[in-house]
Amino acid sequence: MRSNRQILRPTRLTRILAVAVLGCALGACVQRVDVNAPSVRGIGYVRLDDVVKKHPLYSELSQIESNMAALSLQSLGPAVPKTGAEISRETIQLNRELDAARDRANHILQQKQVDYAQKEQAAVRAAIVASGENPGAAPGQEMQNTAAAQVAQISASANRDFAAYQETLMLQDRAATQNVAGALEQRADRQYHQRLDALNARESQASLEMVSRDSAQRLALRTKLNNLALDDALRAQTKAQLAALDRKEADAVNAMRAADAAELATYQRQLRAQTSAEIAVQTSKIHAQTAAKLAQRRSSVSSQASAQIGGLAPAAPASAHMSAATQAKIAQIDREYRTRFKADVSKTVADFNRTRTDLDARFSELRGVDTASRGSVGKQLGALRDQHDKLYNQIVAQVQHEVQNLANQRGLKVVFINIVAPSGGVDLTEDAQKDIESLHE
Amino acid sequence: MRTSIAALFALGVLVAMPLALASDLGDVGTLDQAAVSNLPRFVEANRQVVAFKTGLDKQFTARMKAAHSQADQQRIITEFRGRLQDRQRALLGPLFGRAQTAIASVSSSKNLSVIVDKSIVIFGGQDITKAVIDLMQSPGPIAAPVSTPPPSEIGFVDNDQIDAIPKLKTANDDFLRFNEQQKRIAAQKMSKAKTDAERQQVLRDYQKTVSDRQDQQLKPLADQTKSAIADIGKKKNLVLVIDKGHLIYGGTDITPDVQNAFK
Repeated sequence: MRSNRQILRPTRLTRILAVAVLGCALGACVQRVDVNAPSVRGIGYVRLDDVVKKHPLYSELSQIESNMAALSLQSLGPAVPKTGAEISRETIQLNRELDAARDRANHILQQKQVDYAQKEQAAVRAAIVASGENPGAAPGQEMQNTAAAQVAQISASANRDFAAYQETLMLQDRAATQNVAGALEQRADRQYHQRLDALNARESQASLEMVSRDSAQRLALRTKLNNLALDDALRAQTKAQLAALDRKEADAVNAMRAADAAELATYQRQLRAQTSAEIAVQTSKIHAQTAAKLAQRRSSVSSQASAQIGGLAPAAPASAHMSAATQAKIAQIDREYRTRFKADVSKTVADFNRTRTDLDARFSELRGVDTASRGSVGKQLGALRDQHDKLYNQIVAQVQHEVQNLANQRGLKVVFINIVAPSGGVDLTEDAQKDIESLHE
Repeated sequence: MRTSIAALFALGVLVAMPLALASDLGDVGTLDQAAVSNLPRFVEANRQVVAFKTGLDKQFTARMKAAHSQADQQRIITEFRGRLQDRQRALLGPLFGRAQTAIASVSSSKNLSVIVDKSIVIFGGQDITKAVIDLMQSPGPIAAPVSTPPPSEIGFVDNDQIDAIPKLKTANDDFLRFNEQQKRIAAQKMSKAKTDAERQQVLRDYQKTVSDRQDQQLKPLADQTKSAIADIGKKKNLVLVIDKGHLIYGGTDITPDVQNAFK
């Protein structure tokens, strides 16, 4: 029984056959095409893209290309998440935070106001008791008057608070509307300028290419004209050809300019219509939110005022029945408490102002977020492009090396890539693909 | 008689030999256009174009702000683009002319039938970049060669003109519109996608849709065009056909033949 090894070991005949087959294969390689045949003339070509696809690193290259395409799609998007809906959402959130901070500050202020009023009343009462004076047998009417004054004060204060809130909200509404409109208009402007720049670049490029492309023909015609032996008819014909070339260039440039101008005008109209529609949608959303907030605040303010009015403590019994000294003492207590209240309140106001400054900064950031995000996408795209080019060049260098070996083996003189169509020549694509694949096996 | 036949045969060999040598594709020249465009003269001209554009941009912005209507804006845009392009041509045109004369002169002295961009030659060919640069940097005018380049086995087509053939242009424009439309849809979806997986899916869907449309609408036409170009090339005894954008000097133009094939 033969062992596996024996089975696998090639016999002499198989070896000979293998050599013969290899010889035939090599021979076929060498003799497959006569490189000096009229249809070849020492020229080969490679479909580079097809060879690159067989490179082991192609999957990596392809992944980078996918990432670039995804990022490009993101950057092409209408950017509504940042300029429209998302800005609107984040604006609402920031407004909510601002409202909460203001409510908190108002609540603290009201609480302090009540505390200081109570303390002041106690101090006044203590001063009256200490003076041994009777403030009067019928303080009820006075207390009622004071309470009524306080109710009026609370109502006025509530109204003022609501008016202030309304004003603030309207300002915020206007600012938010302007921000959204501004962001959308900026976006439209940016898109328009991108198109304008692209068309400019295309025209410049085409214009230069035209000069460059036709210069060979122009030079050939001028060379003809340099020939002194040229007869008059041929000279006139060559001059006419030169003139036709100039006309052709000028016509082509003018036609391109006209077509681009029309395209730009259409694009601008589209952008304007689209932007106006988006602004209208976003503005109505913001207005609806503002109206809802106002209604909510109106009901909250009125219930707060009712609660305050219901819980009113009798005011300090300052009275004309008191002596000048007691009245002076009470006035002094009032001044002292006012001063302390102001000092205390200013701290709360300062805290609120700090919060508001922070929120303002975030509002500003929000307005700049669109530009920043686009800048970030641009940077990422740039980095990916560098990475892509580096890898692609590395792959092409390897392909080039393999093709050079193949060309030398085949006795070719020139090998082209990226041709439009072959009419002859030797196609090295498949062999290059095999070589590239086998390199990494 | 036998002597004269032998003599004729010998003469035939002698006459045929230069032809054989001429058809040897040692007569393909290559030029590194990037190296030429990095010459100080080109760099300086480009710097002037950029400086001119910067100045123009300021004027453009001011004029656009003052424009009263869309028609005014369009007029301003056309005017400024025209001014930029005229300046560009005025500054770079003569340099291109000088470069072309230098290329033609070197090509003639080296008996080259065609000069192509170095980027499309992966092996072989005669690199004439240094000779052209040396000639361009020499003082005084460059004398143009007295003869045009010999016929070349390398053909070329102007792809811009081929793309402008009505049948191809219609299909191409239609595809571009479709692509733009799909791109907008995909971009909208992309902005709503929350995870990388969703984003990848949006991209895949977009690429597949566009690729399917391309295969269905453009590929048959591209194959037809390629086949027509190859056939014409064979009839004209060309070895292969390149894009005019890669051609620098010489070559055989088959663009009109391709245009006719589509009529």
